Amino acid sequence: MTERDKTLVLGLGNPILGDDGVGWRAVEVFESTFKDRLDQPIEIDYLSVGGLSLMERLIGYNHAILVDASFTGSLPSGYVSCFPLEQLPTSFQGHLSSSHDTTLQNAIAVGRKLGATLPGDIQIVTIEAENIYEFSDQLSPAVSCAVPQAVEVIQKLISEGINSLNPYPEAYRFERPKNP
Amino acid sequence: MERITIDPITRLEGHGKIEIFLDEKGNVANTYFQIPELRGFERFCVGRQVEEIPILTNRICGVCPEAHHMAGAKAVDAVYHVDPPRTAKLLRELLYSAFYVTDHTTHFYALAGPDFVMGPDAPVAERNILGVIHKVGLEIGGQVIQCRKYGHTVVEMIGGRKVHPCTSIPGGLTKGITEDQRQEIEKMGRWAIEFAQFSLKLFNDIVLGNQAYVDLILGDIYTHRTHYIGMVDENNKTNFYDGKISVVDPDGKRLGKYAPSEYTDWIAEHVEPWSYLKYPYLKKVGWKGFVDGKDSGVYCATPLSRLNASDGMATPLAQAEYEKFFSTLGGKPVHQRLATHWARLIELLYAAEHWVELATDPEITSDNFRTVPTEKPTEGVGIVEAPRGTLTHHYWTDERGIATRVNLVVGTTNNYAPISMSIKKAAQSLIKEGTVITEGLLNMVEMAFRAYDPCFGCATHSLPGQMPLQVTIYDAQRNPIEVLKQAC
Repeated sequence: MTERDKTLVLGLGNPILGDDGVGWRAVEVFESTFKDRLDQPIEIDYLSVGGLSLMERLIGYNHAILVDASFTGSLPSGYVSCFPLEQLPTSFQGHLSSSHDTTLQNAIAVGRKLGATLPGDIQIVTIEAENIYEFSDQLSPAVSCAVPQAVEVIQKLISEGINSLNPYPEAYRFERPKNP
Repeated sequence: MERITIDPITRLEGHGKIEIFLDEKGNVANTYFQIPELRGFERFCVGRQVEEIPILTNRICGVCPEAHHMAGAKAVDAVYHVDPPRTAKLLRELLYSAFYVTDHTTHFYALAGPDFVMGPDAPVAERNILGVIHKVGLEIGGQVIQCRKYGHTVVEMIGGRKVHPCTSIPGGLTKGITEDQRQEIEKMGRWAIEFAQFSLKLFNDIVLGNQAYVDLILGDIYTHRTHYIGMVDENNKTNFYDGKISVVDPDGKRLGKYAPSEYTDWIAEHVEPWSYLKYPYLKKVGWKGFVDGKDSGVYCATPLSRLNASDGMATPLAQAEYEKFFSTLGGKPVHQRLATHWARLIELLYAAEHWVELATDPEITSDNFRTVPTEKPTEGVGIVEAPRGTLTHHYWTDERGIATRVNLVVGTTNNYAPISMSIKKAAQSLIKEGTVITEGLLNMVEMAFRAYDPCFGCATHSLPGQMPLQVTIYDAQRNPIEVLKQAC
């Protein structure tokens, strides 16, 4: 078994900044619930960085799932979305880019240009946050309630792949609701 | 009056906004620089064991957690009235030097580099690290990544984990390093010295070798005559980890040096009704508004400030570059803000040299890396130089060591006033009656504050990392007449 065969699941965000930590929380719950029950080999980690640092953590894997808070301001709190990195809209960038260095897309392009082995398949799961401006280790109620749904999305992505989510409710797909 | 809004600032951690107000003729009347407030960190810390705070504070921000960990560790030492053994100080400083090499390298190649290597008005899609690598070569890109890898490795060896170190405790560290690790660290440090020298040569060739860039650096657009502060050792040489804070006036005269515990005697904060930002200034000089000069308490805390506030660098190669820097730019102090990029590279070389000095110290592998505290905890201040400015942590506890109050003055906060002044001056110089507002022009306004390497990750810490630059132009009645956006 090499790193390449594993799927890397990363919880992103700041665990002491309110809903900013929901990506961590979802991956923690996923780890405690599913890690020993999956057929596929996975590795789990938690990060508070973006850009080049995030790209560097992805080196060596074929598949990765990034779980992060989003703060678009236009989606309902707790709204769960799932989409491949290629479809990452600007408003969803959050921790996936550290503007102190570069975007994840640019960082990955840099890594590939330099010959690094980076995942060809990066799926992103986001949960819309409500409070990201006040330090707290608690999630807002609506965001906390969305954690099981996000965990289910992670589990489905690993077990059945991105296509398995297509029949799922609208909230699982990257589409803004008509009346957010 | 027209109004231009740059919201948020690109390539800047956190969400910042610049508003530029034009008068009836189309000249800049005023500018405002705003960032969102982050609340509740003090409340979050109160009631916790104080030794937990250096671990918590390095979660404030994903950009310089090592700086918060070190300032916090020193504050906790002070709270417990304990002086760590020499080996602990050496190890902390070694970790910190490696972090500095990583951070300054990333800034130069990912943030500052694009403006100079690609040009200030290059297409935005190319003005990033990918464009830099494309232009200067794959090999350099590989070295940037290698440099970061080495820095992260040292942080992990000494700090217990990458990026967010956790080994500093009251009186020292939880662990030391082995001889094998020391040898590996030394080897990486020697590589870092060569890389730093290469980076300075690159700057010399690309920037100093281009008269247009030299004119840009030396021009009035990006020049301010302010006070400067920076940490120095007992010989008044620049230091990032330990020492006193040297304060010099716009003529370069040293007004004094303060120890961490004396910071409130020197630094006060001014409040403006239009912003929730607090603007630190030199208490002994006084707040006279957003103006230059000896009578204005506005000060700057950046790599350029550190060089201006010191008498030199403590390592030979960096000292030679320090001398070249001031002789080329007309002596001390240097007021041209874009020279900060050069100063940063001199600091990069110092950090790499110091990395090797520390790694070859005979005591670095000693197992005497902690002094157990014996006194009752009370109150303490810890100061380090974060890459982007002087970082102050101040903790108060009860007799059980439970935090009762916390105050942080983070690196970028020091520079709020000079950043605001630089934005205004650049905007007034670049946007005149009849000027066509282009993306390249606005990027040159952004360059005014990018030189400060501002990071609001810990000053405010908002979520959106990188979002499009939005520029809204308002007419005299403050109605939006045009919106420009960019993303990079």
